[in-house]
Amino acid sequence: MTAASTTSPTSKTPAGTAMIEISNVSKAYRTDTIETLALQKMNLTVASGEFLSIMGPSGCGKSTLLNIMGLIDEPTEGTVSLAGHKITSYNGTDIARFRNEQLGFIFQSFHLINDLSVVDNVELPLLYRKVGSRERRRLSLEALEHVGLSNRATHFPNQLSGGQKQRVAIARAIVGRPNIILADEPTGNLDSHMGDEIMDILLKLNSELGTTIVMVTHDERMARKTHRLVRLSDGERVS
Amino acid sequence: MLSHLLKLMWNKRRANSMIFLEILLAFIVLFGVYGFIAYNLDRYSSPLGFSYEHSVGVRLDFEDDLDSLVVLDLQERIRTELLDLPEVEAATWIGPVNPFGGSTWHTGNEIDGQLISTQMMFVDNHFAETAEVTLADGRWFTEEDLLAKYRPMIVNQEFKDRYFPGVASVVDSIFDFSGSEHIIVGMTGDFKYKSNFAENYPLSFFPQADRLDQNEPFEMMILRLQPNSLAQVEESIYKLLVDNTKNPDVVIWDMAKDRRKANRSIVIPMVILIVISAFLLINIALGLFGVLFTQINRRRAEIGLRKAMGATPGQVTAQFILEVVLVTGAGLLVGTFFAIQVPFLELLPIPGKFFYFGIGAAILTIVLIVLLCAFIPSRQAAGLHPADVLHEG
Repeated sequence: MTAASTTSPTSKTPAGTAMIEISNVSKAYRTDTIETLALQKMNLTVASGEFLSIMGPSGCGKSTLLNIMGLIDEPTEGTVSLAGHKITSYNGTDIARFRNEQLGFIFQSFHLINDLSVVDNVELPLLYRKVGSRERRRLSLEALEHVGLSNRATHFPNQLSGGQKQRVAIARAIVGRPNIILADEPTGNLDSHMGDEIMDILLKLNSELGTTIVMVTHDERMARKTHRLVRLSDGERVS
Repeated sequence: MLSHLLKLMWNKRRANSMIFLEILLAFIVLFGVYGFIAYNLDRYSSPLGFSYEHSVGVRLDFEDDLDSLVVLDLQERIRTELLDLPEVEAATWIGPVNPFGGSTWHTGNEIDGQLISTQMMFVDNHFAETAEVTLADGRWFTEEDLLAKYRPMIVNQEFKDRYFPGVASVVDSIFDFSGSEHIIVGMTGDFKYKSNFAENYPLSFFPQADRLDQNEPFEMMILRLQPNSLAQVEESIYKLLVDNTKNPDVVIWDMAKDRRKANRSIVIPMVILIVISAFLLINIALGLFGVLFTQINRRRAEIGLRKAMGATPGQVTAQFILEVVLVTGAGLLVGTFFAIQVPFLELLPIPGKFFYFGIGAAILTIVLIVLLCAFIPSRQAAGLHPADVLHEG
């Protein structure tokens, strides 16, 4: 089975049912001489509408797990199911469409394209969904409104503060109304005040839109604000 | 996607300006080279208008104080004796402008309010037969024509087309050239006596009488020989001419070699231009390769991001190719605007069709090279794994 099945970008899995299911997932990185196990027989289920945080020391496999959930990395063993679809292929058009429709990403270093304006950055996921330019613009401005940045739509990333950049990244993640948002240390590069602002936005998204959020963080204070906390150590789940 | 890329390219215009300039420069050079080559190949493909194969040119020197009648007698005797040689098939006396000789004679007369400007060749009544000239209209002049009221002359097709385009035939027209009245008795087709690449310029053939008026008798000949007989007959010809003129100053040359020498004035610049263009294209290809690899390395995180956002490998490849095509398109558009002025404003005396061909061929070449050079780096970009590159930034 391939990952692709046409799912409406706005359709939501009923709250409480499993949105993400990780079963016996292992990930090994191999070189000629060394094999490093980043994840070992990991099992994790994230319910629809849940806000889960993942914590653990550096190198424990948090980002690897998030990448596997985001279908941008392939497990060595085990199965991944997202929004009721078991993922069997990690390449090709179907998986790209699935990522585009079901997933939103927020990164620690924002990953905004400096040569595009704020609104053009936000439009990016819709571009690959072949949404018309007017509709793209409307949805992007709406997403920016959601994160309180509609007045910065025509600015460029280098004209924004770190917190504003992360808010643009959140707008980009939600513009396509995905079922799942994967946030990799979204407050990692921000001071505590800006971090709180970003966290508030994510919490609001989770409660108002019912979006399932998985967040990797090093910040215990932020993690405590989420529904559930999972701790990893040496590629294994410890709590 | 196109509007997104246009925006992106516009915002990156400073970074893309070098590629733009490179493409513009390459286009201008290629446009010129293609135009030049197309024009010259077209010239080369048109008929020479006479035969030079198995023919030799001969230059000799008559004594200065000879009476013109004596010269005419001597010329006829030499010609007859040459034709007695079994290897000599035909012989003709010609004036100072000889095929592939590099010299040009030019005259202009105002006739009926129109300036008639023509190149001139001085030949005798055996020229058409010796050089195997085909006439498009009328005939070559004969000995009888030389004794008639009007001096005979022959013109080429270009003469008629340029000065008398609406006239069915110029044969039997009478003109006053160089102080005496001439009658056109025939018209040749193309006649390119300078080289295969020469342009068809209005040309008129006049008899020796016009030169004898200035006491300048013909001192050159063209001899058509049997194939591959030059080596064995050269000494006999030389001896015959020295015996008749009592002057060892006789030069015999192979007209085929003269033709190659005359063509070299175009072939050598053409080869140089082709070599320069080839180097330029290699340079562009390497430059584009380098720029694209650098850009892709700098934009690894962006590529990872786009793939994470749902871009397929095909879309990533298409994006990078399209980006280069857009910059190339801008360069070609500006280049075409300037290039088109050349035929449009008739800046050079070459028909516009060669410049339009130059524009088309230059665009095609550059687009092909750009696509080839963009493909490999773009495919490489498409192969990047988002999980790897997103954590680099």
